[in-house]
Amino acid sequence: MTNRKITHQPIDPQVEELVAGYGQDREAVLEVLKDLDRRGQLTPATATDTARAMGIPAHQAYGMATFYSMLAFEPRRNILRVCDGPVCWLKRATAASGLETIEKWSAAVEGSWSVERSSCLGLCDRAPAVLVNEEQAGPLTAAEAGRVCQGWRGVPTDYASPRPGEVRALLSNAGKIDPDSIESALAHGAYRGLKAALQKKPEEVIAEIEASGLQGRGGAGFPVGRKWKFVAAAERTPRYMICNADESEPLIFKDRVLIDSDPHQLLEGMAIGGYACGAEEGWIYIRGEYPAQATRLERSIAQAEEKGCLGENLFGSGFSFRVHVHRGAGAYICGEETALIESLEGKRGEPRLRPPYPPSCGFRGQPTSVNNVESFAAVPSILRNGAEWWKGLGPTPGTKLYMILGHVRSSGLFEAPFGLTLRQIIDQFGGGLLPGSEFKFALTGGAAGTIIGPDLLDVPLDYSSTQKGISLGAGAFLVCDQRVSVVGMLRELLHFFATESCGKCTPCRVGTWRAHEILVRMAAGEGRPGDVAELEALSENMLLASFCGLGQSVPIPINSALHHFAAEFAAAEKAQ
Amino acid sequence: MTIRLTIDGTSIEAREGQTILEVAREHGIRIPTLCYHKDLTPTGNCRMCLVEVTRQRFLQAACVTQVWDGMEIETGNEKVRRARKLSLELMLANHPQDCITCDVSGECELQDLAYEYQVCVPGWGAKGKRYPVDPDPNPFIRVDMNRCILCRRCVLACAEVQGRDVWGVAGRGIEECIVAGAGVHLLEARCESCGQCVAYCPTGALSNKMNYGVARAHQVRRVTTTCAYCGVGCQFDLLVKGNQVIGVSSNPDSPVNGMALCVKGRYGYDYIHHPDRLLKPKVRRYLLDGKPKPTGNRKSSSANREWVEVDWDTALDITARRLRQARDTHGPDSVGILTSAKCTNEENYLMNKFARQVVRTNNIDHCARL
Repeated sequence: MTNRKITHQPIDPQVEELVAGYGQDREAVLEVLKDLDRRGQLTPATATDTARAMGIPAHQAYGMATFYSMLAFEPRRNILRVCDGPVCWLKRATAASGLETIEKWSAAVEGSWSVERSSCLGLCDRAPAVLVNEEQAGPLTAAEAGRVCQGWRGVPTDYASPRPGEVRALLSNAGKIDPDSIESALAHGAYRGLKAALQKKPEEVIAEIEASGLQGRGGAGFPVGRKWKFVAAAERTPRYMICNADESEPLIFKDRVLIDSDPHQLLEGMAIGGYACGAEEGWIYIRGEYPAQATRLERSIAQAEEKGCLGENLFGSGFSFRVHVHRGAGAYICGEETALIESLEGKRGEPRLRPPYPPSCGFRGQPTSVNNVESFAAVPSILRNGAEWWKGLGPTPGTKLYMILGHVRSSGLFEAPFGLTLRQIIDQFGGGLLPGSEFKFALTGGAAGTIIGPDLLDVPLDYSSTQKGISLGAGAFLVCDQRVSVVGMLRELLHFFATESCGKCTPCRVGTWRAHEILVRMAAGEGRPGDVAELEALSENMLLASFCGLGQSVPIPINSALHHFAAEFAAAEKAQ
Repeated sequence: MTIRLTIDGTSIEAREGQTILEVAREHGIRIPTLCYHKDLTPTGNCRMCLVEVTRQRFLQAACVTQVWDGMEIETGNEKVRRARKLSLELMLANHPQDCITCDVSGECELQDLAYEYQVCVPGWGAKGKRYPVDPDPNPFIRVDMNRCILCRRCVLACAEVQGRDVWGVAGRGIEECIVAGAGVHLLEARCESCGQCVAYCPTGALSNKMNYGVARAHQVRRVTTTCAYCGVGCQFDLLVKGNQVIGVSSNPDSPVNGMALCVKGRYGYDYIHHPDRLLKPKVRRYLLDGKPKPTGNRKSSSANREWVEVDWDTALDITARRLRQARDTHGPDSVGILTSAKCTNEENYLMNKFARQVVRTNNIDHCARL
């Protein structure tokens, strides 16, 4: 038994300086770790020093460094992150596995580049996509690696002109304004909704939002007005507004487009929410894979503060509102609101127990409203045009951003009222299926949505259509033709969930991993009798027993796929 | 406020704010748990305590779900048992099949539940050891993370009971693991080897190094005793195999300390059977013979100076006589008394009285440390 002598080591002065730069703020752990990572200095030792300088346990900093997928202990000069999401998988002509793709990229890039896998970059409209250091790029394949190293970034998608049949409310300024100029935004009505709100009492603003019937756009459809009412009714102050821009679910990129087309619309919506709820501070938690959008938001906030649209005493009302941008570092689970709050507080992004819910006990234990980007973005136009206008836009109040992907002629994003059927989405907005393609199945809602066959093509979609077997979720639709294996698609989805499970509870941590293992075998033609029954059992366990919404929603694609494509799974099971 | 709820068809009264588990335990209804421990903040990680609550879509973790009026709970129906069984299977999937050599076999909570639910390590699991066995040089704590089920009791015990924050969680998903500090050895991560983590570990992931492989639970007798190291009066169980004390185990019913012990209490038991340990008093030969203290060099007087084993009465008589002699000959201040932190408050109080009122000196002090 040897006992090594433990000697006291002073804290690395560089780390100390970094931590001091954030004012010793214990919530800034992730920022410091990211700074260290950027400098190629992130090691267990510097993570420990970060913790020591902040007065937090060493395991907290180390636990975070190993939790967020964009951080690594290996020094890297240039990082090329290859998207391994299901849309990019589908787009790659060879249908190579994510691992093969990463190997290809690794072989093709120049020496100073490190290639890493990303679960999904949120660039589904530019699939197959990569993130080149801080620049989003696509569509690109490994064959173009040389050009990418030289600066080629592919072709960005343009949402300036609406598709036939689009009804634009949230995207009304897209292409009309320069998103980086507040003057341009102001000329198109920015912050007029806020001015209108400040003329009213906070409870009148909430009443207006309630009357509009605006439902949360994160996927669950919880009424925004009711949530704000809870926060406003909470007695404790300060209260906080949080914008969930951790859009990490494969298929979904609407928040990115919203921020890129009209960042002030989001900031204005948050300020209105802050006024309604009695909150003077807001945070935008934006995923680490959206560096350009985070920078754009920071720039917009600075401009808005300069113009007096954000900051102290807005428009002479006495109401002050400040917005901060917090960048994530690669974790799907941080889209779960309590995990997001944990992450914002400088911890591992693990979900909290609910209740208490954030409106009563959220960020820093205070009343907090967490709303989606699309929800906030809808608020200014409701204040400008009135609740009746919003309600009159469709059978369910308002408009929705839809993302149509896969084997259609014209993939991308559009805005339209609720109540569309998938057939309309494909034919009317997506330009129809690709030549030679026949509809086989679609993944609807998002990665945690339903896998459906042709029999549900004509169900009108809204938040209640889940009961009919097809979910609207966040509004994304991945259309797959006869060439795509449902088993293969489900394998990709489970790969995503298994790599993004936080690990806190057993059913999700091991269940996703085991389900993925079975599907890898089945998709490779090595299915075994009993595989489907085991998938069903795992699915039930994840649904009933998981700690949070991530684990509870993994069964949605599994069950729907098993239901609609029983024959294909039965064949895969008997493959051997 | 008192509320009424139904557990397994029986109407029960409970207080608002109580969890389902607390109410069930108060009424003798057993709900299995793994990550829960009454001393630690409940986290709801392991999903063993799931119960079905009427009109709730998902099963609820009894350890963290508060009761409400009119709640209807089923603690062991088919659905609940099926969920627990599969969760156990998933836990065991990354657990080695080494109960046969594991130190805690027979007092392992995971093993007990696997037995109760008749779950084996699934054929698809057990893909070999993922972590090195016993990699930590800590002299007291044996680490084998292959056996860890990520309940996090060690993390909470370290943070909440001992306040050291050594253990933490690293990685994500299936790669999640328990680490000391930034993935270093325990002592480097400020561990003070109190062994609280070992006491709270429900499996063999953390065990005691000094007696590893020495005895199984059923081979030892537990003797509850009070720690001899200091005056706090912690209680614990000595583990006795045959006539040998082979270890110390926390006794959760200890009134002073509960499960908590310090490194000395938990691991400093090897003096018990040490050959150098004094079991009876000894006095110098010249004192026993009533002769004066020998003068001259030590060699020539060694026979007079040798230690002789005597009974307590003899030893105490000699001590009393010599103290009185010293006081009467040289005055009370020729006597000084140094008491010990090993004594209780009451004993130290008595020594104070003895010094000031019997010997009549103020020369009394306390070592104030061990």
